[in-house]
Amino acid sequence: MTASENQVPGPVIELRGIDKSFGPVQVLHGVDFEAHVGEVTALVGDNGAGKSTLVKCIGGIHPIDAGDYLFEGRPVHVGGPRDAADLGVEIVYQDLALADNLDIVQNMFLGREKKSGIVLDEYTMEELAAETLAGLSVRTVKSVRQQVSSLSGGQRQTVAIAKAVLWNSKVVILDEPTAALGVAQTQQVLELVRRLADKGLAVVLISHNMNDVFAVSDRIAALYLGRMAAQVKTRDVTHAQVVELITAGRSGDLGLQQANGNGAKA
Amino acid sequence: MRAAPSPEEIRRHNLGTLLRHVHLSGPASRAALAERMGLNRSTIMALTSDLTAAGLVTEELPKTTRKAGRPSLVVRPESDRVFVLALDLGADRLVVARVGLGGTVLDRADVARPRDSFDADEIISALAATGRRLVRQAGADAVCVGVGVAFSGIVRQEDGVVRHGPNIGWVDVPLGAELTRRMALGLRVSVGNDANLAALAERARGAGSGLDDIIYLHGDVGIGGGVIVGGRLLGGEGGYGGEVGHMVVNPGGRPCGCGSRGCLESEAGELALIALAGRAGQGETGRRAVEIIVDAADRGDATARDALHQVGDWLGYGVANLINIFNPSMVIFGGVMREIYMGSAAQVRSRLAVDGLTAAREGVRLRTSALGEEATLMGAAELAFSDVLTDPLETLARVRATD
Repeated sequence: MTASENQVPGPVIELRGIDKSFGPVQVLHGVDFEAHVGEVTALVGDNGAGKSTLVKCIGGIHPIDAGDYLFEGRPVHVGGPRDAADLGVEIVYQDLALADNLDIVQNMFLGREKKSGIVLDEYTMEELAAETLAGLSVRTVKSVRQQVSSLSGGQRQTVAIAKAVLWNSKVVILDEPTAALGVAQTQQVLELVRRLADKGLAVVLISHNMNDVFAVSDRIAALYLGRMAAQVKTRDVTHAQVVELITAGRSGDLGLQQANGNGAKA
Repeated sequence: MRAAPSPEEIRRHNLGTLLRHVHLSGPASRAALAERMGLNRSTIMALTSDLTAAGLVTEELPKTTRKAGRPSLVVRPESDRVFVLALDLGADRLVVARVGLGGTVLDRADVARPRDSFDADEIISALAATGRRLVRQAGADAVCVGVGVAFSGIVRQEDGVVRHGPNIGWVDVPLGAELTRRMALGLRVSVGNDANLAALAERARGAGSGLDDIIYLHGDVGIGGGVIVGGRLLGGEGGYGGEVGHMVVNPGGRPCGCGSRGCLESEAGELALIALAGRAGQGETGRRAVEIIVDAADRGDATARDALHQVGDWLGYGVANLINIFNPSMVIFGGVMREIYMGSAAQVRSRLAVDGLTAAREGVRLRTSALGEEATLMGAAELAFSDVLTDPLETLARVRATD
C-alpha cells in the first residue's frame, strides 16, 4: 500500500488564493492548488493559462503577489529557488538544464558537489548517483560516467528526474517531461513518474497529452485563463470533461460557473 | 483433527521460508531475517548453516558497517550455482533462460521457430535442445533445480498438458511430459498459463509486490489474465479460470479465435487495434505495430487515433467489469497491453469513471508491469523454483543424486 490510500494527511503543498501579475497583466487570479504525498497531480490547461507561471511561483522563481503558500501545513515564505530547494521542492524544466559536456554524476551534483577535505569525493558521488538510478529501476543507462551528450532524449529526461530525486526532495515538478520523446521513451518516463509517486513523493506533472495525464495521474488540476477551473480526482472524471475544463473552464457542475466569474470552486 | 506439525516439518517450513526471503528480497543480514521471520537468531543461524552446507546460500561479512558491535553476517543466495530453466512459449516468442536463485537471468537464448509453423514436435525438440545446451554451459559446479514453462494458452497444471493453445493451434499436447522426456535432466517439467505465472511474478517481485488482490492482463496476440484474490491465484475447478480475455464485452462483435464473438481480446487486443487502424497485413506485429499506431495518433493521424479510442473504450468496459466483480487493489497491464493501455489510458479511465461502481473502483490503481517483457519468463522461473523453496534440502539431495 502506498501512502495515498492509507494515511491521508493534508497536502504537502497547498496554495491559497495566489495572485500574480507581470506589470499590468494579471496572470494568476486567486489560484488554489494542492499536491499530495504519493500522488501524481496533473496540471493541465491551454497555452497561456498560467501553468508555467504557477509552477515558477511554487519554485520560488517568481514571488507571489498575494495568497498563502503552505508547506506541510505550515505557512512558509518562498523568496527564491534556494528557499524552495531547502523545503524539498525540485523542478525539472522542459529544457532539462543539463550540461552536455559533463557526465551523469557531474550533472547530478552540479553546484552541490560532495567534498572530502578539499578534494571532490568522486567515489561517494558516483555511488549515490548509481544508487538513485537503481532505486528508480532505471536500467537504460549503462554507466554513470557517460557524458550527457551521448544520451538519448529519454535518458536525459531520466537523468534530470533522478537529479531532482537525489536531494531527498518531497515534491518534484515536471514541466512537460515527454514533449520531445518517442512512444517507447514516453512510456518509460511516465512509468518513472509513476514510480516516484509510489515511492512516496508528491509529483506535479504538466502535460498536454490526455493519455499521459490519465495514465499516471491521481488528480487533475485544470487552469483556465489564470483561474483554477477545478481540481478533481482522475478516477471521477472522463476525458471529455477534462477537455471541456481546459477549453471552456467548466463542464457540467464542474469548473468555473461563469467563465468570466470569480473562480467559483468545484 | 490434524496433529501438530512435527519438528521436522517445522524445520523444513522454516528453511523454505528463509530461502524464499533471500530469493525474493535479495541478500539480507541474519539479524534482518530474524526480525522478518519472527525467529530468534540462534534458530536463524542453524537454518542458514544448513542452507550453506547444501550450497544454496553463502554468508559473508557486510561490506560496510555503520553501527558499533559485531556485524551480522549477510546471507545471499547462490545465484551462480543454483539455477532453474525458464521457458516462455508464446505465439511470437520462444525463449529459454537460465535463472539463478534470487531471480537473476544468467543466460538466455531466443529459439528460432520455423516460419509460420507451430508444429508441436519441432518446437518441443528445439526447446529441449536449447534447454540441454544451457544446462551444459552452466558449468560443473552449478546445479539445475527445476524447469518451468509459461505457455500462452489453457494448461492442465498437474500434468502439463496443453488443452488449447488458441493462437498456435495446439489441442491436447502433452507438453510437460514430452519436455521432461526429451530434456532428460531427471527433473519434471512444470507448465503453467503464462498470464497466471506472470501475475504471480508481478506479485512476488514486481508492481503488485505485497498486494493480495490484483488482476494482471497480459497482451500477447490475445489477452490472457491472472486473477489473484486474497493472495491466491484464482483457478477454478480445473485450474482454467481467469481467462478474462474471453469475457464478452460486445455481443455480436468481432469474431474471436475461441469461436465466440466480441470477446475482450478480439475487441481490445493487438489484432483489433491493428485492424481498426487499417494496418493489417503490413508486416509489423506485436509491440512494434502498437507503437507505430500510438506514434501516428500522436502526430495527428485520425484513423490511428480513432482506433486507439475505440480499443481503449472496449478495454475500459472489460476493466470496469473486472473491477466491479473482484474489487482488486491493482490492475496491471503487461505484455503488449502495456502499450495499448498507455496509448488509450484516457478512454480506459473515462469508461471506468462512468461504468465502475464507485466503491469498487475507489482504491484501485492501474499500473503497467514492472517486470516488463520478462514477466512471463520470471513467472516460469518462479514455478520452477517452487520445489526447492518448499523443501530445500530434500529437493537438492534428489537433484544431486540424479546427476
